[in-house]
Amino acid sequence: MPLQDLFVNLGIMPLRAIAFQSLLLMVAISLEALVLRQRMRLGYQTSMQYAATLNLLATSLGWVIFLIAESMLPPPLRSQIISVVLFNRFYPNGWFDMLPVLTVVSAMGVFFATYWVKLQGLIWLMVLLGRAPATAATESESRHQRYEIARRGKPAQRQDHSSRTLAVLEANALSFTAILILLLLHQGAITL
Amino acid sequence: MVAFIRRTIESLVDFFLPDSYFAWQTVIYMSLFSWLMSLLARVLGTTAFTVGVMATLSWIMLALGTGWGLEANRIRPFGIPIAPWVAGGILCLFMFGSWGGEWLQPALTAWPLVSFGVVAVPNLISWDFRPKQPAPSVRQQLVLLFFLSLLISSWFQFYFRIQAWIQDYPSLVTDNFSQSAFVYRLPGQSTQLSTGVTHLSMAEIIMREQMDGKPWSSVERWLLNEQGQRQTLQREVQNRMANQPSLENDLWQVDFQPFTSGDGYDIKIWAIWSGPTAEATGYYLEKSCSLMPVTQGARYDTSTDMEDQPFASTRWANLTCQLDTPRQAGHPARYTNRQS
Repeated sequence: MPLQDLFVNLGIMPLRAIAFQSLLLMVAISLEALVLRQRMRLGYQTSMQYAATLNLLATSLGWVIFLIAESMLPPPLRSQIISVVLFNRFYPNGWFDMLPVLTVVSAMGVFFATYWVKLQGLIWLMVLLGRAPATAATESESRHQRYEIARRGKPAQRQDHSSRTLAVLEANALSFTAILILLLLHQGAITL
Repeated sequence: MVAFIRRTIESLVDFFLPDSYFAWQTVIYMSLFSWLMSLLARVLGTTAFTVGVMATLSWIMLALGTGWGLEANRIRPFGIPIAPWVAGGILCLFMFGSWGGEWLQPALTAWPLVSFGVVAVPNLISWDFRPKQPAPSVRQQLVLLFFLSLLISSWFQFYFRIQAWIQDYPSLVTDNFSQSAFVYRLPGQSTQLSTGVTHLSMAEIIMREQMDGKPWSSVERWLLNEQGQRQTLQREVQNRMANQPSLENDLWQVDFQPFTSGDGYDIKIWAIWSGPTAEATGYYLEKSCSLMPVTQGARYDTSTDMEDQPFASTRWANLTCQLDTPRQAGHPARYTNRQS
């Protein structure tokens, strides 16, 4: 049967990863849209679009980095990644004792890297969509704006900046927490 | 009846000959024409460049025409506009299909990105090939679409990366993936033999060379130096496996243990897997052999130099091994029921 042959040739497929990642992305996007909408006073659709763009940016960038890094790791570490992907566990080899520490450190690294990527992504996205007050203002500060700065004692832009920074940080923290809880639940469901 | 046939013919004519020349059918016809011209050029024996240009034009026209046709007829299964995907797929087939060999991986990986290009190019470049700036909402859609296609492309690449792992460590296929959070094996796939079986057979061949058909006393002496023989066996198996180089070879360790049984010995040969596995305690493959003394007469009936042998009572070793190599969880119990 040709269809059977096709199945045999397809081998092992990352179907669970695709399903699970889609689910996590949807959760993360809706949560972050909520935070962006409240913190940055955006419209419903706009916040959804921003959150979707930022999360897809971070995810696809993460995949690219993973795929490059995986091919450059030393074989013992690489086989630990294979073990996690295929069997959901580490196996005892020379790296075994360091792995929990390595996992926690890299998870924290991923959190801050994601935060940075999302913040930069948001700035670029706003520039791209022509909704960037930041660049427009620094290039040509109008008289009114200079007056505002002088009157309030601090530039209005800076306030906008910090609110954006805080909004992205809060959104990222919230979505990471949700994803972590879901992953732990999933892990519990698998092992029980 | 006649009316039905007439209506059918009219709709067919309508389908194949649209009212306006600015239609997707025109592009398909141009593709066909270009393809025929490339055939003609090949028959006439023109340069490869001419044939290539004609064929390339034909492929691009086919992609454009199919995409346009799908979009014009609003063919959208489940509400998904598949036109760019089909057009991108045709372009990828054309670009990578002519490579031959391992073309599927780059073609599938590039497919989402090429499809994105099919959507993006008309939005970013005007008809006279000058860049144009689309409206902000279109820009937002394009950015989203780009990252989505990058994500889908990464999934394809991840699939191919898993296949590469299995190429590197073939024994992984024989394991069980029900615990995995990433991969799924489609049912109905036959599991192949583990590479550990090759290691076991190699160990059996080496032990046969060392013991089979040798005098029983020398075999017993050989077995006395068990620890040394174990190391020699491991080294020898690794040496012989070196002509089938695989990352996996280092993860298999061969071991054996004789157990006394009657006049002779039961020998268990093990291939112990120290790589990734679904089993928490690891696993090993086991081959059971029996090493028995046989008297010379029984063994060398047809031997020509039989009359030269002065001692008819000399006993010789005979090693027989079973074919099956059952897989067992854990680590082999080397020192249980050992009688020495």
